[in-house]
Amino acid sequence: MNIEQLILATATFGSLFAVMTVCLNIQYARGGMINFGTVAYFAVGAYTYAIFTHEPPSGLDRYVFGFDFPWYIGFLAAGIASLLFAVLTGWPTLRLRGEYLALTTFAFAEVLHSVLLNERRLGNGSVGLSNVERIDFTQFGLADKYGYALAAVLLLIATIVLCRRILASPYGRAVDAIRDDEVAAQSVGKDVQRMRFEVFLISALPIGFAGALYAMITTLVNPMLFTAEVTFFVWIALVLGGERTIKGAVLGTIALVAFEELIRNFHFESVRGAEIASSIEHMMTGVIFILVLRLQPFEKIKTWRAAQ
Amino acid sequence: MTPSNSIIEVRGLRKQFGGLKAVGGDTGVSFEVPRGKITGLIGPNGAGKSTTFNLISGVLKPTAGSVFYNGEPLSNKKTSEITAAGLSRTFQTPRSFPTLTVLENVVVGASSPGEWLRTALVGGWRSNEQDTLEKAQLALNTVGLAERANDEVTNLSGGELRMLEVARQLVRDPDVLLLDEPTAGVDPGLQNRLRKLLLDLHEKGTTLVVVEHNLHFLLEIAHQIVVLQNGELLAAGTPQDIKANPKVVSAYLGDEHAA
Repeated sequence: MNIEQLILATATFGSLFAVMTVCLNIQYARGGMINFGTVAYFAVGAYTYAIFTHEPPSGLDRYVFGFDFPWYIGFLAAGIASLLFAVLTGWPTLRLRGEYLALTTFAFAEVLHSVLLNERRLGNGSVGLSNVERIDFTQFGLADKYGYALAAVLLLIATIVLCRRILASPYGRAVDAIRDDEVAAQSVGKDVQRMRFEVFLISALPIGFAGALYAMITTLVNPMLFTAEVTFFVWIALVLGGERTIKGAVLGTIALVAFEELIRNFHFESVRGAEIASSIEHMMTGVIFILVLRLQPFEKIKTWRAAQ
Repeated sequence: MTPSNSIIEVRGLRKQFGGLKAVGGDTGVSFEVPRGKITGLIGPNGAGKSTTFNLISGVLKPTAGSVFYNGEPLSNKKTSEITAAGLSRTFQTPRSFPTLTVLENVVVGASSPGEWLRTALVGGWRSNEQDTLEKAQLALNTVGLAERANDEVTNLSGGELRMLEVARQLVRDPDVLLLDEPTAGVDPGLQNRLRKLLLDLHEKGTTLVVVEHNLHFLLEIAHQIVVLQNGELLAAGTPQDIKANPKVVSAYLGDEHAA
């Protein structure tokens, strides 16, 4: 087993997915909005980055857009595109509550997935775009694998700082009040629609950036990378880590990614062995998820701490 | 009464829920709330008092008719805008923010500049925060909850929750305060405190509208009383007039008490 590889992969993908979990934590635990379409904002970020930095089509290419911009333009565009997608999806849906919002956001993500799969002019359909432009970290004297791990961790830290800053202010207090009781919040002058919308938008921005970074790391965007499984993964991570705190959201995600990477790091003698390991990994995730829901360890820790 | 003397004017107000005529019957309810006075709103259960409050504060939209606040119609305004304009209310069933502490529940009542995303991001709201906290603490003192400031809201009793709601609106320094059954479930000691508080607010020029079943409480403090029955206006006048009105006595206490 390659320990360094394990740590780097966990740091890179753990941080990338933790960006999503933290944003989900803001939307759900603080804003009271259930977003079951998280992957869509991630995909929009990744595809926007790829399209903005890809070379224009030539020869047999089926895609139409390739702007050949440098990586930092693509990176910025990814965040903005994710934000715009949040405007597009949030504006008509945010008056919905609870499971209705969950279903609608899920549907939006599925529509996007279907468009990416079938509309070849956008991102080459099911083939996707490969050879995506990357940051060359060697020019900063850093091997790529360290560079991307560092970039992912920095993005996560920036996301946490942004969220903390907003939520530790009177703004966060008002957002909490709105989640607790909308009518009462309105009766003290809080503009519920505006604040819910803002929280939804601001949390889409880091997810877009994470998507861009993900595209750089995998050097590929393809509809199969952006299925509902990604959404479920971050939701499970959020529940595992305890949904109330940013710390919990980060730890839950890192733990879940570490667990997956650990299994992947085993050397299997046969393809069959790897397949079984992969199935067991899914089953184990499910079992842990059920145990956490059933035993509620975080609630117990909270009660225990309060009793001290 | 000239418009400048009344701060709220209710004109031809009607609200129907499906076929149920909750307020205003067929013709609509009209009354005025004089500026700087205490108005009582009474009526038997189901008379439409709370619905009227909900219509004035924008929680519900009227089927017909309108509410004017300082001469301006409120029909197209959001509840938050109406509140921001200085018209505050409490609820018949007290509403609180259970994940916030008692003090935070009051602090959140104030409109802080830090509630704008830009200010929250850039900073600069902290200087205001201290004032808001002191104001909230003062409001908690006024309603007798000062010692519970750091307690969880879920530990408060029904009567205390009512007081908490009042405190939350006090930090807003409202021009008009609508109180929905403020004495229900509140012990006599706190009721006295509440009476004093309402009279103090009146002294300061706040207009008060109080829905109340406790007639003694209301008759002592109100300058005007509006009586609703089955959603329609039964009578409006001074407490003396209302006490002497046989229709009101019959509606409230039953026919055998009517003179």
